[in-house]
Amino acid sequence: MESESPTETKKGKSKTPKKEKESILKQKSPAEFFAENKNIAGFDNPGKCLYTTVRELVENALDSAEAISELPVIEITIEEIVKSKFNSMIGLVDRERVDEELYDDYETAKAREKRLEKEARAQEIQAKNAALGKKVKEHAVSKSSKGRGEASFYRVTCRDNGRGMPHDDIPNMFGRVLSGTKYGLKQTRGKFGLGAKMALIWSKMSTGLPIEISSSMRGQNYLSFCRLDIDIHRNIPHIHLHEKRDNKDKWHGAEIQVVIEGNWTTYRSKILHYMRQMAVITPYAQFLFKFVSDAPDKNVTIKFARRTDVMPPVPVETKHHPSSVDILLIKRLIAETSKQNLMQFLQHEFVNIGKPLAERLIGEMGPEFSPKMAVKSLTDQQIVRIHQLFRQAKFDDPSGDCLSPAGEYNLRLGIIKELHPDMVATYSGSAQVFEGHPFIVEAGVSVGGKDVKQGLNIFRFANRIPLLFEQGGDVVTRTALKRISWNNYKINQTQDKIGVFVSIVSTKIPFKGTGKEYIGDDISEIASAVKSAIQQCCIQLKSKIVKKMQAREQQERKRNLSKYIPDASNAVYNVLQEMAKSHASKKKRYEEGDADILQKVSDHLITKETLYEKLTQHVEKVDYEMALEYATQTGVREEPREDIYLQSLDGKANLQHHACTLNFP
Amino acid sequence: MAEKKKRRRADSDSNSASQPFKNLLKSDAQILQILKSVTSSSSSSTSKPLTLADLALSSTCREVSDLSLSSVQSTIESLVLQLTHQILSGQGFSFIVPSRSSSNQLYVPELDRIVLKDKSTVRPFSHISSVRKTTITAKILSLVHQLCLKNIHVTKRDLFYTDVKLFQDQVQSDAVLDDVSCMLGCTRSSLNVIAAEKGVVVGRLIFSDNGDMIDCTKMGMGGKAIPPNIDRVGDMQSDALFILLVEKDAAYIRLAEDRFYNRFPCIIVTAKGQPDVATRLFLKKMKMELKLPVLALVDSDPYGLKILSVYGCGSKNMSYDSANLTTPDIKWLGIRPSDLDKYKIPEQCRLPMTEQDIKTGKDLLEEDFVKKNPGWVEELNLMVKTKQKAEIQALSSFGFQYLSEVYLPLKLQQQDWL
Repeated sequence: MESESPTETKKGKSKTPKKEKESILKQKSPAEFFAENKNIAGFDNPGKCLYTTVRELVENALDSAEAISELPVIEITIEEIVKSKFNSMIGLVDRERVDEELYDDYETAKAREKRLEKEARAQEIQAKNAALGKKVKEHAVSKSSKGRGEASFYRVTCRDNGRGMPHDDIPNMFGRVLSGTKYGLKQTRGKFGLGAKMALIWSKMSTGLPIEISSSMRGQNYLSFCRLDIDIHRNIPHIHLHEKRDNKDKWHGAEIQVVIEGNWTTYRSKILHYMRQMAVITPYAQFLFKFVSDAPDKNVTIKFARRTDVMPPVPVETKHHPSSVDILLIKRLIAETSKQNLMQFLQHEFVNIGKPLAERLIGEMGPEFSPKMAVKSLTDQQIVRIHQLFRQAKFDDPSGDCLSPAGEYNLRLGIIKELHPDMVATYSGSAQVFEGHPFIVEAGVSVGGKDVKQGLNIFRFANRIPLLFEQGGDVVTRTALKRISWNNYKINQTQDKIGVFVSIVSTKIPFKGTGKEYIGDDISEIASAVKSAIQQCCIQLKSKIVKKMQAREQQERKRNLSKYIPDASNAVYNVLQEMAKSHASKKKRYEEGDADILQKVSDHLITKETLYEKLTQHVEKVDYEMALEYATQTGVREEPREDIYLQSLDGKANLQHHACTLNFP
Repeated sequence: MAEKKKRRRADSDSNSASQPFKNLLKSDAQILQILKSVTSSSSSSTSKPLTLADLALSSTCREVSDLSLSSVQSTIESLVLQLTHQILSGQGFSFIVPSRSSSNQLYVPELDRIVLKDKSTVRPFSHISSVRKTTITAKILSLVHQLCLKNIHVTKRDLFYTDVKLFQDQVQSDAVLDDVSCMLGCTRSSLNVIAAEKGVVVGRLIFSDNGDMIDCTKMGMGGKAIPPNIDRVGDMQSDALFILLVEKDAAYIRLAEDRFYNRFPCIIVTAKGQPDVATRLFLKKMKMELKLPVLALVDSDPYGLKILSVYGCGSKNMSYDSANLTTPDIKWLGIRPSDLDKYKIPEQCRLPMTEQDIKTGKDLLEEDFVKKNPGWVEELNLMVKTKQKAEIQALSSFGFQYLSEVYLPLKLQQQDWL
């Protein structure tokens, strides 16, 4: 991808001597760094870039709506732009190839000969097979690998009903990497604070087109429109147009439009999975996803309807827990604090340090520390001492109050709404702690459902965003596969359609790998919390499954008993018949009652059918009695009913399109 | 090849390097002398075996006996008449089957075998969990009734194939067959149902099988298959000094080919693993009629001892007939855990015990039939402690014939059995 870096970069670099006589100290802007290492932000290849752009925009939109406690309504549209259209967009004339041999996909005479030979052979084989009446698969026409010139371009538009952005802040919010509002210590969706900026860098790298933003805030009578791109070297916005327009509909929110290179074919299912999983974890949001292209059969429109209006609380910013800070962080806190002395600093800049504990801590630090000493005058050594003490001392665990889990209710609704399972159980764990960071694990386990494949289907969520990649090493996957004995809960791991949903929220999610796509299996606190959450769900399910099996047994009892009547009556009758023979020939003597029966058998008064009928009557009687008993035992017990969320009608009829079916991987 | 190796070594060095302890062996005549004295003392000491009645346990414990065909037939007939009465009165029908679960088993030290207690379970037709078994029970009863009428023997496999659809699996028909013999109070052989031949016998034994005289020294290398219906076996004669019970086929073949029984007069028996009913009955019969000591050669692992215990005290599955199936006073000749070091069996021939092995070993230590023999407890403790096991074949590391040429003669000479 290095070669693709924009020409500006090259020009800039060309000023520095290329002869490499001596190494010159160069500085790199954050934007430049991310442009060169875009894989760490999830921009590995065009397909993944399209996917990551979509998710960054969706997550920003959700955050924005939740910030003003508005039920999110999000529309996301991906529009395919073919090359000729793209060229005309940027004012480039479509040129025919003149010098064919110049191109990478040019076929030399030799290669052509080879290909024709191969095709002739293939045809011959096919003809032979056809003659033999064999059915053969159509030979896939070998696709010539797409040259880079054949790249596909997409316009990604995301519109929300969120907070919107202050008119004057817009350029900096998009045109400056690593400047953001999400850098405090709280549970956030974003991973790096890059969001839409990375999409902008990518659009600049692949298409050179600027980003377009419309935004309006609540009660604002104008609409901000801004077209800008980013100056990668200086990490500042480069504004094309920034103006106020009319806001006739009193709309608030943001609409962001960016044109990037991508690959819909390969990442179609990933993007759709992402949308579906997002709908599971945020059932209070409404998503409208559209894919538009020139080929109508490829078009996709999916509406993920809202099923509840209960939103999780907005996560609050919290103070650091003393066990989780490092020296650098202590220094920063000292620099930023408004408190004067050490005592106040400890009490107010950290959680779980009260006055008595602060006094004891200061006493423990050593004689050169005192409660009244100015906090800004601490030396480096003294800060190290504080850090050491923080590491060793025992503090209460931080509370989970600052976290905003999806909520058991919402998770349950989300699962029901998107998977339509036969059974579902959810569980919400209490807050736990690793390395001073609180976390909450919530889990759901479903059985059955539509478009769910057999076996385990694992859905992972971290801070309420779905994780789709690098499933193998993830703590949830490994726990579900290896540490849960599904058999114990009457669940068949290979036959049943099992959905496992685990949502972890924390002020710090311990991601592994550069792409932040999975949570490592090495944190025992999280691993055991995940295990117990899944187990709790399974325990709930087990009783339901057992009840279901009992009910089925009830239904099938009569059939299962009747099935054996012929065999049983045959067996008994065969012996009776032999006995009747010997009785008739007076070989053996029997008692009166028995002799009577045998006589009747000889006279065909008691036959196989007699036994059969008697047994059938008996089975019917027993079945009736047991059914009665079952009914009195279970009573008229019904499952607790779930509230149905009815969406308010806003004039328009809500058409629900399901243009595509999804199968979870 | 082992021979060659041995000779080469013998030229250069002493014999003991390749076949250790060979120099300890006395002449065969001397060993025979020792054995004879043992045999004479053991045969004189045998007394009449105790029964449940002797211990006043017959009311609380259940035992079956050999019944004649006609009495089996009439027992079935009266049972069927009972069923018919039940069915005609509209109550369905049910069997009362003695429970063969492990909670209903009892080891009686005075008898040195496992017996069945008197608990029974009702098996009603009109219950979803027992309808299948009840039907199979009725079916087996009617099949056995036919056998009684026709006076023929069939195998368990034959029985299974009469209605594969109903039985589904031979395990199920076999289990119900045991239930039926328990319920009727007769041995399984009295039902005229036999198992396929499994055990073999070779050595100094002559007996009649269905009227034909069999000389087990002239049965070739493989020996004579133990006949499945023991009631047709009789007229046992032997000049053997002891019976050698072998766990494994491989060791049996070695001894048979080397004609071990000609060097030391004996009868060699194997059931190739877990013993079947026929082999156990045959061993019992030999022991009772010939009054010879029984020496067991099994692997040095928990399963070896378990097999030994099945011959000796009976299996839980067939405890209702333990009186006929068990052979008292079997001696554990080898390979015992203490032999591993005593005979310097090289490390590479010993295997580490698995978790499962160790658990089985510890469970065995809790069993009464092991506890009653302090020597066995000691050996088993050693096995669990060292966590090592070895098969009989481990002795082949000193040459394939080490077993027959050195190990067994030395064991016999030293009377090294427990």
